[in-house]
Amino acid sequence: MKVYDGSETDSSQEEEPERVKVGIAEYEVTTDSATLTTSGLGSCVGVGLYDTKTGAAGLVHVMLPVAEEMDDGKPAKFADTGTELLIEELEATGSRRRDLVAKIAGGSDMLDFSEGGSGIGDRNIDKVKETLEGYNISLVGEDVGGDHGRSVQLKSVDGDFLVKSANRDDRTL
Amino acid sequence: MAEVLIADDSEFMRNLLREILEEDHDIIDEVENGVEAVEVFKEQQPDLVMMDIVMPIRDGIEATDEIKNEFPNSNVIMCTSVGQEEKMKEAVKAGADGYITKPFQKPSVIEAIKDVVPS
Amino acid sequence: MKIDVQSLDTFNKLAHEGAEEATRSMTQMTGIEATVEVTKISLVDREDLGEEFGRETEFVGVQFGFEGALTGKTVLIFERERSSEIVEALVPGGNADESMAQSSVEEIGNIMMSGFIDGWAEYLGTTIDHSPPTYIERTGKDILPGSPDTNERDQVFVFSSEIQWEGENVSFYIYMVPEYEPLTKLMSEHRDEEADAIPVEKLAAFNQMTREGTQRAAENVEMMSGIETEAEVSQISFAPIEDVPKQFGEETYVGTAVEFTGIPSGFLLVLFDEQSAITVAEGLMPMEMESSELTDKHKAAIEELGNIMTSGFVDGWANVLQRSVEHTPPRLVHDMGQAILDPLAAQLGQHQRHAFMIDSKMKTEDLEFESKIHALPNEQELRETLDDLDLDRADQTEANVDQLF
Repeated sequence: MKVYDGSETDSSQEEEPERVKVGIAEYEVTTDSATLTTSGLGSCVGVGLYDTKTGAAGLVHVMLPVAEEMDDGKPAKFADTGTELLIEELEATGSRRRDLVAKIAGGSDMLDFSEGGSGIGDRNIDKVKETLEGYNISLVGEDVGGDHGRSVQLKSVDGDFLVKSANRDDRTL
Repeated sequence: MAEVLIADDSEFMRNLLREILEEDHDIIDEVENGVEAVEVFKEQQPDLVMMDIVMPIRDGIEATDEIKNEFPNSNVIMCTSVGQEEKMKEAVKAGADGYITKPFQKPSVIEAIKDVVPS
Repeated sequence: MKIDVQSLDTFNKLAHEGAEEATRSMTQMTGIEATVEVTKISLVDREDLGEEFGRETEFVGVQFGFEGALTGKTVLIFERERSSEIVEALVPGGNADESMAQSSVEEIGNIMMSGFIDGWAEYLGTTIDHSPPTYIERTGKDILPGSPDTNERDQVFVFSSEIQWEGENVSFYIYMVPEYEPLTKLMSEHRDEEADAIPVEKLAAFNQMTREGTQRAAENVEMMSGIETEAEVSQISFAPIEDVPKQFGEETYVGTAVEFTGIPSGFLLVLFDEQSAITVAEGLMPMEMESSELTDKHKAAIEELGNIMTSGFVDGWANVLQRSVEHTPPRLVHDMGQAILDPLAAQLGQHQRHAFMIDSKMKTEDLEFESKIHALPNEQELRETLDDLDLDRADQTEANVDQLF
């Protein structure tokens, strides 16, 4: 059989930016104007980073607050190591830390059965914010908490962060 | 016409029981948890309580236990979706007089009440 | 025969890495960018294999037999409706010639599946031969190979991976159905001696109890709503914890969630798609609503139905184990499926890296109606439960009210 490479099959869609899906406990970084998407955030948090100078962007979908508690070699699963990883990966593409801004969504407390203390959603948000602060990256937009799920799209053409929910209007951060 | 107190956290279920019972009985109140059930019982001492088990704040078995301790001659029928033998034993221990499992049919509710509160 | 979480994890990883290797081969050959979404290992009734494919969807793909350290059958399939897009990507212009299209599917299947099997052989330090691919076209669950009938077991392990074509709404599926005996033997050899073992027979018995619980929940639905409902499938699956919510996607569901306590503790969901929720709620309500929207009245009815289905489902476990399983009052949920699941997975995920998931489905013939029950038990406690499970009592799911009152 002939070997076909990517360029032969990929023909028409020039205008629409490529969409790249980010699953739970995964991250993606783009430097070529792709739109990064992640869906179904409940108590999970979607952390988007955008380089205001170069237009590079990254998105991570974290599930639990602290890697130390349950270390299993999947840094993108946790709020602390996931945020760090995303910053480092953007730096690896040439971004400078001071050019990065952050937008986050998720961390709802729906179906949190834990009694007393703050739930996983809250702790995820706190951990993400703490980590961003530690790297001096400013948080310029957030749609967090409440008791509903969210999906997000980070458009690296302009840094817009679109938040969609099942039962309410879309919001752009 | 027996005086009945309905204790169930589900509005849907309270309405269903009301519909079945109100023809032949006097429904004195509807409550949503075990604490309210005990309070209302102490105030009004109805002839019968239709008591759910899984309720917030305080469950129906604990409420039954307290009612039966203070009023040994009271009548309490558990009316619950729980079909576990261990739970039924707990209900017997608490002093429950009958046990109806949801979903129920109207005749079985009527019959259970007849057995417990002969008119 | 005993397995453990370690051996389940190892074998699930092999299947996942195999699927990734197969996907890399495909990307290399065709330029199709695809990712393996979820790989899970499930224990399922042989007759329920592939029930998730529905009754009408037509599939095409390739099938192989494999033999060696592991013996069985495997398929690589996709929906027929999308096959022209896939063939076009494989061989531009290939759709014009049907036999060309077929042979290109065969060939790509061959290469992908070699990648899939080779990883297993390498890890097991042995060889696994596979037969040449056969092109298959079948409808619904018939697309999957039944486990070879070498014995009378009615439950089989199946490894399934879903591979998604990025940016397109197209999925490929790899299913592997190994013969039960050699697989469980291999898994028991790859068990961590120190770890807590799970007797496979008890896992199967638990599955059977779940099936009866589903049956009871289906009877409850029927009694309350008048909708004739049948239990369809119940299976127990094992996957990394983050893959649990992933299986649900963005589709909106309505239903209830409870936390159950005791041994095992965990979470239980009863879910309906929005249309099914309206249908069943209408059936529950004494008067006609005729609403095409989900109202608060519908939701109150769903909440109580969820409560009753939950009890129907867990009572059997409690009665067999001769202890009580308590659950919280139901919480109504109405949201994206994945968002409903992720807080529950996260709560379990604070103490475990993988999850056992118990999935049941019920359906009705005449109406568009489907309901699913999902239980997520604490891993360690499920293991303890299985340990305590007395196989001779496994059919004692009923409580006798009359004996007590």
